[in-house]
Amino acid sequence: MKKFLSSIILFIPFSLILYVVLICLWGSNLPTRHRPNLIYKLGHWGHIYSRLQEAKTYRDVDILFLGSSHSYRGFDVRKFDSLGLKTFNMGTGAQTPIQTKALLKRYLPKMNPKTIIYEVSPILFSYEPVESSLDLIANDVNDWNTMEMVFSINHIKTYNTAIYAMYRDALNLNKDFKENASRADDLYIPGGYVQKRMKRYKYRKHNKKERKPRSIQVNAFYHNVQMIKDKEINLILVQTPITQSLYKAHTSNKLFDKQMKELAPYYNFNELIQLDDSIHFYDSHHLNQDGVEVFNDSLIMRLGL
Amino acid sequence: MLFNSIDFIVFLPIVFVLYWMVKSNLKVQNFLVLTASYIFYGWWDWRFLSLIFFSTIVDYFVGLSLNRQDNLRKRRLLLLTSIVVNIGFLGFFKYYNFFLENFATAFTFFGGTIDAERLEIILPVGISFYTFQTMSYTIDVYRKKLEPTKDFIAFASFVSFFPQLVAGPIVRAKQLLPQFYIQRTFVYTKAADGLRQILWGIFKKVVIADNCAEYVNYIFDRPEKFDGSTLLLGGVLFAFQIYGDFSGYSDIAIGTSRLFGIDLPKNFAFPYFSRDIAEFWRRWHISLSTWFRDYVYIPLGGSRVRIGKQIRNVFIIFLVSGFWHGANWTFIIWGALNALFFLPLLLFKQNRNYLEVVAIDRRLPNFKELAMMGLTFFITVLAWIFFRAENLHHALEYLSGIFNSSLFSIPELPDFGGKKRAHPILYLLFGFILIEWIGRKDNHALENIGLGWNRLLRWSMYAFIIFIIGMYMQTHEMPFIYFQF
Repeated sequence: MKKFLSSIILFIPFSLILYVVLICLWGSNLPTRHRPNLIYKLGHWGHIYSRLQEAKTYRDVDILFLGSSHSYRGFDVRKFDSLGLKTFNMGTGAQTPIQTKALLKRYLPKMNPKTIIYEVSPILFSYEPVESSLDLIANDVNDWNTMEMVFSINHIKTYNTAIYAMYRDALNLNKDFKENASRADDLYIPGGYVQKRMKRYKYRKHNKKERKPRSIQVNAFYHNVQMIKDKEINLILVQTPITQSLYKAHTSNKLFDKQMKELAPYYNFNELIQLDDSIHFYDSHHLNQDGVEVFNDSLIMRLGL
Repeated sequence: MLFNSIDFIVFLPIVFVLYWMVKSNLKVQNFLVLTASYIFYGWWDWRFLSLIFFSTIVDYFVGLSLNRQDNLRKRRLLLLTSIVVNIGFLGFFKYYNFFLENFATAFTFFGGTIDAERLEIILPVGISFYTFQTMSYTIDVYRKKLEPTKDFIAFASFVSFFPQLVAGPIVRAKQLLPQFYIQRTFVYTKAADGLRQILWGIFKKVVIADNCAEYVNYIFDRPEKFDGSTLLLGGVLFAFQIYGDFSGYSDIAIGTSRLFGIDLPKNFAFPYFSRDIAEFWRRWHISLSTWFRDYVYIPLGGSRVRIGKQIRNVFIIFLVSGFWHGANWTFIIWGALNALFFLPLLLFKQNRNYLEVVAIDRRLPNFKELAMMGLTFFITVLAWIFFRAENLHHALEYLSGIFNSSLFSIPELPDFGGKKRAHPILYLLFGFILIEWIGRKDNHALENIGLGWNRLLRWSMYAFIIFIIGMYMQTHEMPFIYFQF
């Protein structure tokens, strides 16, 4: 028995080391489609790499925007900066509360914002957290907060990708990577906003869908809210506009509004402003620049900025 | 609790450590096995523990009563009690709706009407396995081939032994029960080999079976969209899915048992390297095949009766075996097809031609062996299509899609809407078949591969398999197919 246990105790670290080595080899030499559980995409959609690089240079901002693509495509930092405010948009693709938690822990001390505008939506609470975490792991320098996120998600893809990302971080293999400000129809605006080339949405009917929140996301969200409150930062929750056809397909809007109102000042712009699905959006989720103008003007007015 | 779950990864080491901590006290050790087994099963649905417990109680007392009873009529009555209880549970939970629907259909066919209401019945996991296991005990006691046990804990542990409780192997009482009477000793080589077998079983399940399943589900769900060659490939992938899934489970079960010093019989012996269908059936789901052989086929006269009865017996055993798998006509046709494939071999007395492993003294098979293995595999794939199909119409539609001119086109695996999608399953299957071929003479593929190497190299191989599992496993939890049986 002693021999058996000692063999196991020796084999575990041995296999872990070899596992890490093989992850690095696979990640470095095989294209993504041949390594299904290691998804490392540097400079992925939404200019996440540029945004997180820029985030490291920001200090003491007035407003920090958080959330998903609704955030980085919805809050145009130029509108707020023109009012003399220093703002940064830290939205990332499908950023769910789990990723927000890691970002807050990493950037809050340096950014030291006076106000956080936190984009919320029942959709984000229902997402499984794996894919969006992979983007974050690949495009930011990883630290203990990454590990905390990875362990809380507990998924083989996030473990593999985190191992490979840390290897690249350690050898500084991304130092020569440059992300173009212009990519397909997107233009990255310093401060984190991404402007889409003007397009208009073609109406599509969405079937009713119940968005069941995941407990892992809800718990992370409450944790984030508490963290922000503990630091005495002014917190504002905002549900950004989506097309009415999509919004009305969600069955839990009223309940969600009620829950958000209990936590902090909350604005649901799907109820507050009148936008036209075929004029103010470029897809069912995202405002085009015309829609962003209307939405941001309304937000600025309501916040009294 | 699933073998391929985090729960089991925590559960197993805890039980293992506790088990060997109390090794000096057999009763406590058996009680621990029983408790662990009930926790393992109850994790899925604790309500159905009552079924196992009731079955255990009935068969325990039937066994004791049989031992005290010499009157043949009363002995038969006792055996009947056991069979009625076990088959009754199985019949109700597994076959009630099937019989009801078919009865109603037949009634309607003859012009009558019947108000047949389906019951929403949950099939208790593993019921087909543990009922057969416990019945083997009472039948053997009845036949006076086995002494009944007075040790209830040992008997209950035998019925519910967690590694093989929900999907076999179906172990006879005379193989497993005596192991609960004697003190188990920890044997390093046995436990280490158990771990190797578990590792290979996990690989088969989460890499081979689950990756095949992704393609199989996609192709079988829309057969009209694919040409004949792709549909045939779908069938081939299903053959590997079901083999990886079920033999993977058996490997994990047998390997886990060995960690506890308990030996379970082999359930699969590289069946796809068979040269005819008779050899295939000696190598596939061995514990079920031998169960039917010993408790159905031989009592019916087996092959030592005149030709008409031989044919009848073959059909009975294959049809019952098909029906055992599930309450669906597809399984019955699957059984019938296998009977048809098997029958010529029996009639021409060619069914025991290949008792040894193929190419036993060579590295590679010769052309004839290769062709025979290919042909045997092909006909099993055709039968598997019925096994996998939702209903007979689905199976026939699938088969008619295969057998047309498009069968000779180049198969195209679905890309699931992804751009430039690779199909790692193809090279994973190649590696899998290669390792299985190398290890075909052993109890499991990894039993002897690398044993002569130095430890660093051997451990590197195991770590590499772990890495392949981590890199290529499907990331959503897929239950074992045989749980539904």
